[in-house]
Amino acid sequence: MSPVVTIGVRDARAHASRFVMSIVAIALGVAFVLGSFCFRGLLDGQVRKMTSTNADGDVYVQGLVTEDSDDSSASAEPAASSSSSSSDDDTDSRNNIDVSLVSTISAVDGVQTAVPARSLDGVVLVNSDGVAASSMTGTSANAMSEEYRWRSAHFVQGGYPHGEHEVALSSDTASSAGLAYGSQAKIVYPSAGVQDVTVTGIFDLDDSQAGALVLGLDPDVVISELQAQGTSTDTIPRIKVYGSANGGAALTEKQQQDLADAINAALPADSQATAVTGQSHRDELNKSYSKQLGFIQPLILIFAVLALFVGSFIIANTFTMIVRDSMRGYALLRSIGVSPGQVFATVIIQALLLGLVGSGIGVVLGWGIVEAIVAILAAQGTPFTASAAPTVPIILLAFAVGIAVSLLGATLPARRAALAPPIQAMNETTNPEPPVTRRAIGGIVLALLGGLCWWFALAIAHTSDTAAGPTPWPALNGIGVGWPLGVGAGLLVVGVIMLAPALVRPFGAVLGWLPAHAFRVTGRLAVRNLSRQRRRTANTAAALFVALAIVGCIGVVTSSVKASVSDIVDNNLQADYVLVANSTRIPEPALEQIRQLDDVADVETTSVAMGVKVSGVPDPMPVFVTDRGFADTVIAPDSWEGDFYGTLDDSTRVVVGETTASKYGWHVGDTIELTSDGVTMAAAAQQAQQQAQEAQQQAQEAQQAARQSSRTATYTIDAIAKGVPWSSNIWIDATQADELGLSDALIKPSAFVTFRDGTDTAAARGELESIARPYYTISVMSHDEYKSATSSMVDQVMLGMYALLALSLVIAIFGIVNTLMLSISERTREIGVLRAIGTSDRQVRGMIAIESTLISIMGTVLGLVAGVAAGAEIRGCYSAMGLSVLSIPWLQLALFLVCSIAVGILASLAPARRALEVPVLDAVASE
Amino acid sequence: MNDAQASDNAIVARAIDLVKTYGDVASGSQVVALDHVSVDFQRGRMTAIMGPSGSGKSTLMHCMAGLDKPTSGRVFVEGLEVSAMNQRELTELRRTRIGFIFQSFNLVPTLSAEENILLPLEISKRPIDREWFDEVVDVVGLRNRLDHRPSQLSGGQQQRVACARAIMARPSVIFADEPTGNLDSKSSAQVLGFLRDSVHDHGQTIVMVTHDPRAASYADRVLVLADGSIVRDMDHPGYDEILDVFSDEGEKDSGAAADDSEARA
Repeated sequence: MSPVVTIGVRDARAHASRFVMSIVAIALGVAFVLGSFCFRGLLDGQVRKMTSTNADGDVYVQGLVTEDSDDSSASAEPAASSSSSSSDDDTDSRNNIDVSLVSTISAVDGVQTAVPARSLDGVVLVNSDGVAASSMTGTSANAMSEEYRWRSAHFVQGGYPHGEHEVALSSDTASSAGLAYGSQAKIVYPSAGVQDVTVTGIFDLDDSQAGALVLGLDPDVVISELQAQGTSTDTIPRIKVYGSANGGAALTEKQQQDLADAINAALPADSQATAVTGQSHRDELNKSYSKQLGFIQPLILIFAVLALFVGSFIIANTFTMIVRDSMRGYALLRSIGVSPGQVFATVIIQALLLGLVGSGIGVVLGWGIVEAIVAILAAQGTPFTASAAPTVPIILLAFAVGIAVSLLGATLPARRAALAPPIQAMNETTNPEPPVTRRAIGGIVLALLGGLCWWFALAIAHTSDTAAGPTPWPALNGIGVGWPLGVGAGLLVVGVIMLAPALVRPFGAVLGWLPAHAFRVTGRLAVRNLSRQRRRTANTAAALFVALAIVGCIGVVTSSVKASVSDIVDNNLQADYVLVANSTRIPEPALEQIRQLDDVADVETTSVAMGVKVSGVPDPMPVFVTDRGFADTVIAPDSWEGDFYGTLDDSTRVVVGETTASKYGWHVGDTIELTSDGVTMAAAAQQAQQQAQEAQQQAQEAQQAARQSSRTATYTIDAIAKGVPWSSNIWIDATQADELGLSDALIKPSAFVTFRDGTDTAAARGELESIARPYYTISVMSHDEYKSATSSMVDQVMLGMYALLALSLVIAIFGIVNTLMLSISERTREIGVLRAIGTSDRQVRGMIAIESTLISIMGTVLGLVAGVAAGAEIRGCYSAMGLSVLSIPWLQLALFLVCSIAVGILASLAPARRALEVPVLDAVASE
Repeated sequence: MNDAQASDNAIVARAIDLVKTYGDVASGSQVVALDHVSVDFQRGRMTAIMGPSGSGKSTLMHCMAGLDKPTSGRVFVEGLEVSAMNQRELTELRRTRIGFIFQSFNLVPTLSAEENILLPLEISKRPIDREWFDEVVDVVGLRNRLDHRPSQLSGGQQQRVACARAIMARPSVIFADEPTGNLDSKSSAQVLGFLRDSVHDHGQTIVMVTHDPRAASYADRVLVLADGSIVRDMDHPGYDEILDVFSDEGEKDSGAAADDSEARA
């Protein structure tokens, strides 16, 4: 082995204890990186397993792609509805196909079974104790019968359900709901209401559904519920086909392709349908689910970046200390003819070893954390069967990241070791810090650019017309709020980090005033020590800055959401009680019962029709059905253009929200054309229902009816409304909904009940609750309860952030500890002199604690200021979408500040101990 | 010599039968730095401790000042047993009884000259005697340098600030470790003259370790150590007298000069 390597390895061994913090930081950063990939891999793997069971057809026949649809934009739910009802996935939107194709496909050679896809959303299973079974991963209720085969389901007890009083459950579902074969249970349907059922079948699935509840229902039951919901049963999203080539077993991809080709050949030209292989269908599903789950990884990666930033900084500090301590050794090596490059190598070898060890620990740690999360989720009823193990490329990536960061951190100190002239190495001098002005100017420029982006975001958020936007370029004005907001935030963060060293002195002067007066000497010393290495101080504070900026921003946004909801409830809501469905909709029979109560004056609902096509809008969008009563008792718009109330009462005119209007360039007096698509065919469904005695044999006729009932109507926009929830969306009235055939297809996630004057509200509430109780899924809430229900959802988001904050605090503490350790090792003699002239141990500890606390307060204050600004900016940009009130959570911010003081004191303990460990004599005599 | 004398008012500091060994007895690598040394330091006098490298002169001073713990024997300052003190008592001792001047790096770099001078008083939260401060500042000649940071001062100026700091607190005894070791002869003369003046004009007690005969000639008394023992104790020796001692140091058996190791008034 080359002597350079020998020296490097021996030095590393000698410095092992100093590397502990660096290793921990690298390990944490690498663990985050690896963990985020593992978690992503786990979710993707689980999704693949689930789709291979859920979508186990050999061939799928589905509609043609109509348009590429991205996220349905600007379709914010009104704040008054608390549960999201988005059931459509991210896949390409396709037209539905005729059920009659089933018989066409069944006739194709090689087809064993063709199964129309029929399932229900929003079904709730209630066990015999009256407890609704719930799962993080949802509930699916599928039609199951001989005809509606599901190859991956194998009955272990009983068999297919027959009629409305029977249900089959997957064995996982049965055990998590506490049900067994023969148990009595209840099913709550969104439209048909509560049904008593007996569990008459238990089936195993080929793969775990990650805790999702899987119910099998008689197809007729599914069809009649779909009809009751107003959904067409003559067209379906797709038909699942099992091939017979392998005697019922799954086909190979080649066989799938052959079968798909055969089916495509048999499909009528006007069928608007196409057959694809099961594999490609599953791939499409997997892709869309992965995309939906994709947001988790960047969130984890932010914290990985934070950890690695602090890690590289800790490593740089550690190596600075080591290099400083070893200068004499290097000088000796240099004087006997070792080249600067070789000295550099001895330091870099240590960094390499450190990176290897840190990354290794990080890989194990990250994997372990993900496995622990999996175990916790499993204990909570969401078992994952996919593997969380990292793949080789991910492990290599993790090592590469860890080692790269280590080398990055060690390069500068190593360079210093290599290039310092031997005589300077012998002579420890305090190198004057290079000026920070240039860096500060760069920081200010970036921050100003960021501010400009934010101003731009605000301006376009508040301009209704792209042509009249803040810039002369309509294309730029139409860019949307998200981009300038994000870019501005990024520029500001980088700008502040660059500016921070220049802020150390003013910060010290302001923040240090109190300690300098409370503790005359130690306070003053501490403040001045911070300014000695302003870059180092600022970089140390940067970790806290970033973490607290994120948390502060989310704090302001969540607090504003809460305040805005409270504001709406307090100032607008006239109704006495709010009913909220835990599933997607309040069952219609429940609403009917409530309307018939003597004391009830009015029942209003948020009523949404999904998937209405609007002229000039590429994707189908939700349309809200409303009337004067909703505006009067629930919420009125803040302001409007045109004749709002007149328009509400007039069935030839519609109200459009200000955001929506500006997005599509609509003005009062314009006309728009609404088309109810084939998805929701109420009138047709009703006809079909009458004919449903003979079930699907009649499908042909019904299909004819469905074709005819795809209706279009043209309305004049005669009012543009502002304020939550009116700002977004299109608002039509009940007559128009009838005209379009939407009336029975409305989703009603919440209802607002007003009692007659003089009603005993407590008693009336009792009546409401006794109506709601049998449906298991409806909550009756007073104003305050309604507010706190919203708050508690928001608080859960905050809770997750607190967990990440705690982690970043740990990392930040490491950073501060490390910086102080370095600073104290540099000041060994100075501290020795202070102690020799009578500074007590307590005073030394106090001085270091003040330094540490000031660093942490600086990071926290900068972070909170930036975070609050970002939160306020976001609030401003989205004020039209429900964030009508800006609320800054002062108490929470104060709590963070108190925490940061605690962090500072905590971080100072170990460095202070180190400082006092050195005997005064050694400290004074050290050179 | 007995314990009762330890509190004698004329004596500020006293070492009794001081032994200091370094290294490990078992491994045979033991080094004796102080070999049963007993010595008294009188109030209001400047004592220089001389000796070649390894003679134990610095160890003696460090033990006297409570910076180092003797292996055996006892040290008293103002009648208080330093060798038995814990950290808290030592801190108290340094605040009230002892002043230090080191060879270099005496000052806290983040504090101005004035702040450095006042540091011991501020640390122990004692009142500041402004008149005394003015007097000290004028004597060391730093009036127009008070706002300067140590990095803006020359080495001699820095040492004068260190002297002013030590004297400002009016300790019972100032221990100076090679105070002129890093200075040129002109700066040395200034610093030494200033120290001598503080002894003669204000009754300050100073114990100074030095290897420089010129510096030692400023002292009222010169102790010479060799191999861990006091080999000479000279009262007001002249520069030449001191030079003589060192010129025949090599030839003489060090034990022969130990005739008057007893303290003189």
